[in-house]
Amino acid sequence: MRVLKMQKENLMVFLESIRGFGELWGVVDKGNRFVFDKLDDLSDYDFKPRKPMIPPKLFMHPPKFSMFRFNEKGYEAELEEIPNRVIFGVLPCDIHGLLILDRLFGAEPPDPYYMKRREKTIILGLSCVPGDTCLAKATNTHVVEEGFDLFFSDLDDYYLVWVGSSKGDDLVRVQPDLFEEKLEYKDLEKFIEWKKDRDSCYPVDFDFTAMPDIMELSYNSPVWEKIGEKCLACGSCTMVCPTCNCYDVVDRLALGKFEGIRERHWDSCMYKEYSMVAVGHNFREARSQRLKLWYTHKLQGFIGQFGKPSCVGCGRCVETCPVDINVVTVAKALKGEPVEAFWNR
Amino acid sequence: MDKIGLYSFTGCAGELLTILHSEDELLDFFGCAEVKFFLMAQSNNEEVNLDIALVEGSITTDEQTEKLRGLRARSKTLVAMGICACFGGIQAMRRGDGGWEKRFKKIYGEALLEVDKPFESQPLDALIKVDHYIPGCPMDKGQFFSALTRLLNGNPPSLYRFPVCNECKWRGNECLLLKNIPCLGPLTAGGCNAICPSYSLPCVGCWGPVEEANVASEYQLLQEKGFSGDVVTRRMKTFGGVRMAQLIKDVKKV
Repeated sequence: MRVLKMQKENLMVFLESIRGFGELWGVVDKGNRFVFDKLDDLSDYDFKPRKPMIPPKLFMHPPKFSMFRFNEKGYEAELEEIPNRVIFGVLPCDIHGLLILDRLFGAEPPDPYYMKRREKTIILGLSCVPGDTCLAKATNTHVVEEGFDLFFSDLDDYYLVWVGSSKGDDLVRVQPDLFEEKLEYKDLEKFIEWKKDRDSCYPVDFDFTAMPDIMELSYNSPVWEKIGEKCLACGSCTMVCPTCNCYDVVDRLALGKFEGIRERHWDSCMYKEYSMVAVGHNFREARSQRLKLWYTHKLQGFIGQFGKPSCVGCGRCVETCPVDINVVTVAKALKGEPVEAFWNR
Repeated sequence: MDKIGLYSFTGCAGELLTILHSEDELLDFFGCAEVKFFLMAQSNNEEVNLDIALVEGSITTDEQTEKLRGLRARSKTLVAMGICACFGGIQAMRRGDGGWEKRFKKIYGEALLEVDKPFESQPLDALIKVDHYIPGCPMDKGQFFSALTRLLNGNPPSLYRFPVCNECKWRGNECLLLKNIPCLGPLTAGGCNAICPSYSLPCVGCWGPVEEANVASEYQLLQEKGFSGDVVTRRMKTFGGVRMAQLIKDVKKV
């Protein structure tokens, strides 16, 4: 992988220079939360890493959209209106999240709605410093080696820029003089030093060793009943999770006409209806069963199938659950460690 | 073409107004079925046998009860629209507290009322069989037309069955409960597009309880955040009607 150097003052010029590749998006501060928004004016933008409340999955797998229009003659997929987008500031944990979604939606037969959006999205990654709830070091998702077109590592005076795809290379070629091709050994030393410092400040250093086996032994743990009793079944944990991707599909028929749209929207395994099948039978009637499904999927099942957990350590569930049910408190409780949480009171 | 009728009992007429305010859909609406009864919209109304009766409002008098029973008897399918019809409405907020006669007297005194024997607000299904429910205060026009279209095609309505929080997160809102604001989103049926939390206003539960409302946990959570039990109960009961009254009773039993 090619690595280049960019002086900081060049970043804005660079982003302006690539507007022709698509709408430019980044994470902005809305006062009470960070959200993705279009960056139409870069003059006030500070290019700092921020963790948006809703992860970048929303670009490839929108919360609600029309898959296709249909009438009595057939159907037509609604893929034409999808814009080209350049997303600046995607954090390493979220890139790991996208890599997991790529695997799921890209598996045969690939999902055209996800793939089309993915194809039309350029990912510009950005290095981060951990916040209060980040556990990406524990899940080994604090560094990233693929899944981006360009990745900017902020080394205070300048960026090291990894080129991760041929599209990324195209972006560099728009104004190659903004980058320095020649890297010196001391630049990499600086990066290694930066990484060492950064890695030492993760506030949540949780040990996930043998987690699948702990999950296996925890099948009948009283923890499930306990969290099930307090879970509000609001589904927020699944909405903010970078790897949760479940959806429901609804046909919306036009009144009095033979036409309609097929809508897809985010669903959650925390909802009762999710596991309900024909004739009203429900495989996971109790909230405790649904929570157990989620945690075994993230920390056991996915590891067995894909060799790594489907938790990317972003800490969003830690920030989002109003009753403190999250990957840290639950994993700790299953390991028999003391947990201070609403659900434990 | 299916014969349909729209009927209104005790309430603010919010559901019928929602339909009337749907200018873009009105022509299709009147074209897709024979509208036999819709007092607010037309003058040539007929009381005939119906394929679908769409009913808003709660039942508060013997006279209404009789009318509703008659309507049920001549309708193949009967749909309750809005929380008054579904759960008893705001006028049922004190259900389970007792003292309805006293409250009634306090308001109306000894005045002679031209209604036949009033009683405390009842949802439709306390008196007759209801086939389908479209909650909301008022209901959402999108959900109404989607439900009606499905009914006209011979299918049951397929409404969202998740809480307000789902759409709230689709819209990227921060959870108000985390800011110690007493939001009833997790207890409340979704479909409103999380309109209040999207303006940083807490959900007041105006669509009535979601199927799996975890009242006990939300109650404990709000108490920990410093809200008194009375305040929390009152908030929950404002729109929750008989269904919320029952959920609260179930919690107190435990």
